Amino acid sequence: MRRSATRRMALQSLAAFVAGSPLLETPLLEAQQDPVRDQSRIKALRELESTFDFEPVAFAKLVRSVYDYTAYGSGGEFTMRRNRQAFEWADLIPAATPASGTVQTATTVLGTEMQYPIFVSPTATQGQLHPDGETAMRKGATAASNTPMIVSNNSTLPFAKVAAGPGSPLWVQLYPKQAMDDNKSYLEPAIAAGARAVVVTVDQQAPVYERALRGRNLTAGGRGGGRGGVVSVAASNPYRLPMYRLWYEWRFFDEIRTFVKVPILAKGILTAEDALLCLDHGVDAIYVSNHGGRSLDYSPSTFEVLPEIVDAVRGRVPVVFDGGIRRGADILKALALGANAVCIGRAVRWGLAAYGAEGVQKVLEILQAELKLAMLQTGRTTLAAVDRKMERVHFQ
Amino acid sequence: MRRRGFFEPLQLKVIAGSGKVPPLADLLQALDFESAAEAKLDPALFAEIAGGDRSALERITFRPRMMVNTTGLDLTSELLGAKLFAPIFAGPMGNLKRFHPEGEVAAARGASAAKAPFVLSADSDCSIQEVAAALKSPWWYQVYANAAPVAAKEKIRQASEAGAKALVITATGPVREWAAVEALRKGMKLPVVLKGVVSAAEAKAALEHGVQGIVVSRPARPGAAGLASPMESLASVVDTVAGRVPVLIDGGFRRGGDVLKALATGASAVLLGRPVVWALSAYGAEGVQSMLETTQTDLARDMAMCGKVNLKALDRTVIRVHKA
Repeated sequence: MRRSATRRMALQSLAAFVAGSPLLETPLLEAQQDPVRDQSRIKALRELESTFDFEPVAFAKLVRSVYDYTAYGSGGEFTMRRNRQAFEWADLIPAATPASGTVQTATTVLGTEMQYPIFVSPTATQGQLHPDGETAMRKGATAASNTPMIVSNNSTLPFAKVAAGPGSPLWVQLYPKQAMDDNKSYLEPAIAAGARAVVVTVDQQAPVYERALRGRNLTAGGRGGGRGGVVSVAASNPYRLPMYRLWYEWRFFDEIRTFVKVPILAKGILTAEDALLCLDHGVDAIYVSNHGGRSLDYSPSTFEVLPEIVDAVRGRVPVVFDGGIRRGADILKALALGANAVCIGRAVRWGLAAYGAEGVQKVLEILQAELKLAMLQTGRTTLAAVDRKMERVHFQ
Repeated sequence: MRRRGFFEPLQLKVIAGSGKVPPLADLLQALDFESAAEAKLDPALFAEIAGGDRSALERITFRPRMMVNTTGLDLTSELLGAKLFAPIFAGPMGNLKRFHPEGEVAAARGASAAKAPFVLSADSDCSIQEVAAALKSPWWYQVYANAAPVAAKEKIRQASEAGAKALVITATGPVREWAAVEALRKGMKLPVVLKGVVSAAEAKAALEHGVQGIVVSRPARPGAAGLASPMESLASVVDTVAGRVPVLIDGGFRRGGDVLKALATGASAVLLGRPVVWALSAYGAEGVQSMLETTQTDLARDMAMCGKVNLKALDRTVIRVHKA
């Protein structure tokens, strides 16, 4: 066996060498230019003009496994692609720019005041992207007009450390734990340290990341591990499926409500039926999300299900939205369908990896400026004036 | 060699025809076995079993429901008197010795190890008895409607004796060969499943002729490629049949989620054809087992993430069918 492994490694090295040869760079075979890797120079912060520009810089600075962790979605990544695609199924209708030219974007969601209807999404282990991790993320968010940040349950730094010192408002995200005391011992210190709301993630019960399992296969048998090292984790049912999150039930919200006195959100809602169940269980806001295409592959894009959820909720609670936002116009399209605010995940992660807090700040400021511009171009100077009439939707 | 495009679907990359396949554990889903078969097989032989049309499946998304306890996840069902571990068959594929020296016997052994039901093709290179001996899971025997009746009946008798639980008759023309179907089933106790139904009208005719099951499938005849894909016809067939007999389907099913889409539409089970041959070509029985198990696990995963604990809980609210 050892011999064949050596032979395999040798073949891989050969394949990698051959793949890298300029002789093989035939344009005919490059049907799709790779937007990430086809870079000849790393751009400086001041050269980055759209949120898309940060990903190549992050790619250049990160080791591949860390890059992949942010880049990939679950399964065949259908849902991750669709999240972006769906924004093309809506057209904002231009209107005359109002004479005043000033745009009002401030809002309040569940008591948290914000200058723009934009949050930093809860995303895991930001310490891998930048040495200062979540602290740098918050610093950048704070510099960008005090953008509120949702701190992940899988934060590199403890919540209290992220919350130390002045800065933008913080919410805390939770993956439900089966032993109620575990939720309590995580949430109570976070709330004491200033978390103004609790975001409970209800999806991602048993995802699979094919890109992660594959590693970086140039050819067959590349390093990465495949199913070999992964499937056995906590697999205890006859179908070899990890079980550790399959116990989730709605009564979880009733139970944490007994000790959580700040607002509670349910993150991962994709149907009107579940939005209504959230209301039945006293959830204070619906967070429409498919986990950035990292939960169930072939879930719909969040953008295309937003109307059904907004219509079911009928304004009784706020609706927060994430999934594929890269432009201010994307934000406006979601607000026009009825979202109260949006959250930004991958885009600020690329900002953090590329240029730390300054990168985060710039990503958010680009989105803020683009949102204002899009509002002006559609003749809206206040968030209250943003409505479905400003948008033509043609979902597939 | 081609560099992987950023938005290209994820599928294992291999060197075609190199004869070198990756370790089995590196294969994550049925489509990877296609890559492995491409590496293993002579290009001309691979071309016969390459590809498949998933386009109708790509137009269906899920409506996942949250906070449903699925710790008791169960994919079992009863089908024509047999208990299925999971509703995924290794479908009828013939002439398998061209792909692996042990042919159908290896495919059957792999299916059996994965507790998957099996359909033995009339075009088997191995004897019915040999294959039956390799099977512990429920299995059906398949014949073509236009087969020479005397020889076919003898084989059906052998299959029945060897333990086949149903007879699959594959339509070879538009389903008007009722005389042939009647001749094949006459005097036989096995339930008859008609394979190759593509429309509600054909399903209605099949019911009138008393078949006990239907497989929505592209019929084995020239020009069939131009017909609506089985997945596009499934809903109308299921509605027509209205639960009187089980409706199965094949054609382009690869991922566990693909299977879930058919089950949610109303199918009782899905037949995998090409993926079995891919797995067999590259890894023999072990590959068939691994491919089927991976697909079962993915089905279980997607059921859990749709908030469905068993097959009875499935209905069309699980999916949304899109125009494009």
